[in-house]
Amino acid sequence: MSEQNIQQERAERPYTESSVIMTTVRIVAPFVFTYGLFVMFHGASSSGGGFQGGAIVAAMVLMLAFAFGIEPTQRWFKNTAIVLLATGGVLAFLFIGIGPLLLDGTFLEYSAYGFKKAPKYGIEGVELGIGAIVASVISGLFFAIARGFEYTEGQQ
Amino acid sequence: MITLLEAALLGFVLVSAIATIILRDVLAAIVAFGAYSLGLAMLWLTLQAPDVALTEAAIGAGVTTILFILTLTKTVRPTDDSVFTPINWPAAGVAVLFAGALLWTVPAIPAIGDPSAPAWSDPEVTQFYLESAYEQTGVENVVTAVLAAYRGFDTFGEAVVVFAAGVAVLVVIREERFT
Repeated sequence: MSEQNIQQERAERPYTESSVIMTTVRIVAPFVFTYGLFVMFHGASSSGGGFQGGAIVAAMVLMLAFAFGIEPTQRWFKNTAIVLLATGGVLAFLFIGIGPLLLDGTFLEYSAYGFKKAPKYGIEGVELGIGAIVASVISGLFFAIARGFEYTEGQQ
Repeated sequence: MITLLEAALLGFVLVSAIATIILRDVLAAIVAFGAYSLGLAMLWLTLQAPDVALTEAAIGAGVTTILFILTLTKTVRPTDDSVFTPINWPAAGVAVLFAGALLWTVPAIPAIGDPSAPAWSDPEVTQFYLESAYEQTGVENVVTAVLAAYRGFDTFGEAVVVFAAGVAVLVVIREERFT
């Protein structure tokens, strides 16, 4: 079959919204999001942590895009928010780490903060930062790939 | 010895891996690959590595599958009716040789729970983490305590690597003005 025929056949099968997928995602998405946050916050007491929780939250964004279309999802989760989350995560981790240096501690020495259970809150903060980085980078890559890209010779 | 459950999961992983290779329709191969990741995640659970299992399920079975499907929508599907793809024998030979070289190293891996395993080569460090993690950091999951407190500097590097990877991809696909 020629290239043209393949293209033609593709055009005849457009992406259609499936009510089964939409209903399922509508019900499941809030639970997935909550579970992602749980894995992030509860990583201190059970399995999980920022990397896993962030991946689960990103999976929810991808799931929404899968069910309701990429553009409506992108209108809700803008690139500005993605960049703010990713840089915010790195900066949060960095500042939590630098904080003890100002209080006569070493880098990431949580107990230098002095308040009760400081290491635990420090770890939770760091995990949340990691979760923000992972979730936003994965969603950002997804949207970037979805938008597609053209490369032409000599492009500026 | 491996239990019946582990043997069944191993068989499932093997079958879905082979299905990923030989299926002609790329969409079917992607679905088989997702099943492979899910089987692997369950296998991690039986090996008592829930943290790894969570990552495998979320990234391997979830995110990767969707990214593959997204990429697939930008390509064309084969139109003939054959179920399996023809095998490229030279490539298969290289793959078998590579897998053989990897399998050759398997006997060197210590058995599960082997007291002479390298993880226990410095029992004082391991014992120190296990004994004082809760007291010093107040978190019950020792994995998290090591990750975010004792080896927090490494984890900071890891988080920055994820960030840098995202930036690098945007630069490669010329989306520098991402906002």
